[in-house]
Amino acid sequence: MKRLLAIALCLICLALPVTVACATGDSSAPTGSIEITDQAGRVVTLDAIPQRIVSLAPSNTEILFALGLNDSIVGVTDWCDYPPEALEKDSIGDFYPPNIEAIVAMEPDLVVAANIHKDEYVPQMESLGLKVIVLDPKTVDEVIDAIAIAGEATGTEDAASQLAEDMQARIDDVQSLVSGLSEEEIPRVFYVIWHDPLMTVGNDTLQDEVIQLAGGQNIFDDLSGYPVVDLETILDRDPQVIIVGSGHDVEQDATFQWVQNEARLRDTEAAREGMIFKIDADLVDRPGPRIVDGIEEMLELIHPELAGESQ
Amino acid sequence: METTALSHIAYNLLSYRRKRYYSIIGLLVLLGVVIGAACSIGSADISLSDVWRLLLSRLPGVDIDNGIPGTLSTIVLDIRLPRIILAGLVGAALSTAGATYQGLFRNPLADPYLIGVAQGAALGAVIGFIFHFSGPVGLGSVPLLAFCGGLLSAVVLYGLARVGKTLPMTTVILAGVAMGAFLAAVTSFLLINSGENLHGILIWLMGGFSTSNWNEVYVLLPYVLLSLVPIYLYGRPLNLIQMDEEQAQQLGVNVEKVKLIMLLSATLITAAAVSFAGSIGFVGIIIPHAVRLIWGPDYRFLLPLSTVVGAIFLILADTIARTVMGAAEVPVGVITAFFGAPFFLYLLRQKKRVVF
Repeated sequence: MKRLLAIALCLICLALPVTVACATGDSSAPTGSIEITDQAGRVVTLDAIPQRIVSLAPSNTEILFALGLNDSIVGVTDWCDYPPEALEKDSIGDFYPPNIEAIVAMEPDLVVAANIHKDEYVPQMESLGLKVIVLDPKTVDEVIDAIAIAGEATGTEDAASQLAEDMQARIDDVQSLVSGLSEEEIPRVFYVIWHDPLMTVGNDTLQDEVIQLAGGQNIFDDLSGYPVVDLETILDRDPQVIIVGSGHDVEQDATFQWVQNEARLRDTEAAREGMIFKIDADLVDRPGPRIVDGIEEMLELIHPELAGESQ
Repeated sequence: METTALSHIAYNLLSYRRKRYYSIIGLLVLLGVVIGAACSIGSADISLSDVWRLLLSRLPGVDIDNGIPGTLSTIVLDIRLPRIILAGLVGAALSTAGATYQGLFRNPLADPYLIGVAQGAALGAVIGFIFHFSGPVGLGSVPLLAFCGGLLSAVVLYGLARVGKTLPMTTVILAGVAMGAFLAAVTSFLLINSGENLHGILIWLMGGFSTSNWNEVYVLLPYVLLSLVPIYLYGRPLNLIQMDEEQAQQLGVNVEKVKLIMLLSATLITAAAVSFAGSIGFVGIIIPHAVRLIWGPDYRFLLPLSTVVGAIFLILADTIARTVMGAAEVPVGVITAFFGAPFFLYLLRQKKRVVF
């Protein structure tokens, strides 16, 4: 009997730390905590809805503002230029490498990082006690996913699902316009990033997807990334539309000027038909909510006849 | 006895020299063949006969109606040909400049970028990217400011390194390396603040010919030709300087004048080449050594041989760069090192007895 009691006591003792641990585990998860799986596959637990958010990328900033988080955003990067309110926020400096000291000084309760920060800077920030989620949309669908994740993390699920629905509806509208195109009606599109050297976009880029969604075909969709290409290949593939990704600063216009003035490009169908345009590069290379504007604008440029129908 | 021995030596010398003359002629023929072959290769599928009909139709005095569509003509005559000629000029310039620097500094590690000219040009190029404007003769601000940067750094270097009326070569190297480091620091600083165009500038600095046109050829050509003349003319004094500057002086060579003119000429072609092609590594250091291994160290031959071999080498490298990955281009500097370095090591093994 005594022995039995001893064994029972021992068992109770053994079980005690486990139950205590369970109890503390439960207590550390108050009802307001949020568990999120971000786009780097990391699981992040937030104790409460973040009130001080720092964005480490222009696309993240655009997403956060689109979710109506103007009051919670305390820090952005030097490159965050949209919406205009972003320019009034304090800056943590460059997008890459991020200034960790400046980020910590802002005492954020959520840092929204990009994929480029994942390996080196996210662990560093976590070791300093910061909560970090990574948004890394590479396709239009993933932009919508990123918006949902950002919504969950910031308690703005409703705004996020509304935004995602609107975006999807606008994309569907464009799709219904271009879905009826026959193969010959899909123009060959040459997208120019830079003229010296001549850089374009490959098949794994957001620009390529935007061109496809707008009913065009990127003439360099057999390449990947942002390749440098030869003028000869461009003439050989004879683009029907040339789109120059243009920024707001002066030197980006240099590329558009070069494309318009380059005598050797006059042999392309695009030049003969007057189909050389520029597009705001931020609309088609930033994986944020404005990507839909990019798709619609691309449609207007490469299928003016269809864009007219929708209005 | 003695006279026969002497005449034997003289005969050998003559035949050796004649061999090298033949080599130069042979290499010039090879250069022509390489240009023709490079014109025939590209991502666009153009038949050999069309390419040659196009090329021949442009020769003066030949009047054949080639009947070939305009696009093909643009590709061969306005895209491939200027690119090939420009690559040849840049290869010739860098290789000759490298040989000249190696001789002047009596240092086998000298290359056209050693004394800060390329760094000056790179700084100019980056400024040209940031403050964009259109220059004369259809040139952009990038090559124009790159050229100014290269020349300016050479002038400053000359002022810094001059001691009285002499120009000690060790001082030139040290001042050049220090100035190059300073200019590179300024360039890096501007680069990290250049925002969206960082990628474009970086690729430009790596060097390449992806958009070369005839205007660039017309601008570069006179600089290269004008600088080659004095360099070739001073091949003999450069041989004497190899032994000892004082001895050369005693033998009647105006050492300071030779050094100054050769340094300026080599700098001028380096600056011009870098302005249109970025910093293409390897050509300027290895081609002169390869030439030295094959044809010997006599600068009267080493300099012109380096010119032709440099041109052939860079044309071949650029042809590989624009074709090897299909539609995408490989930076030509990658090709020059990847194929050039093993070939040079092979030469080095073959001629182990030659000591630099």
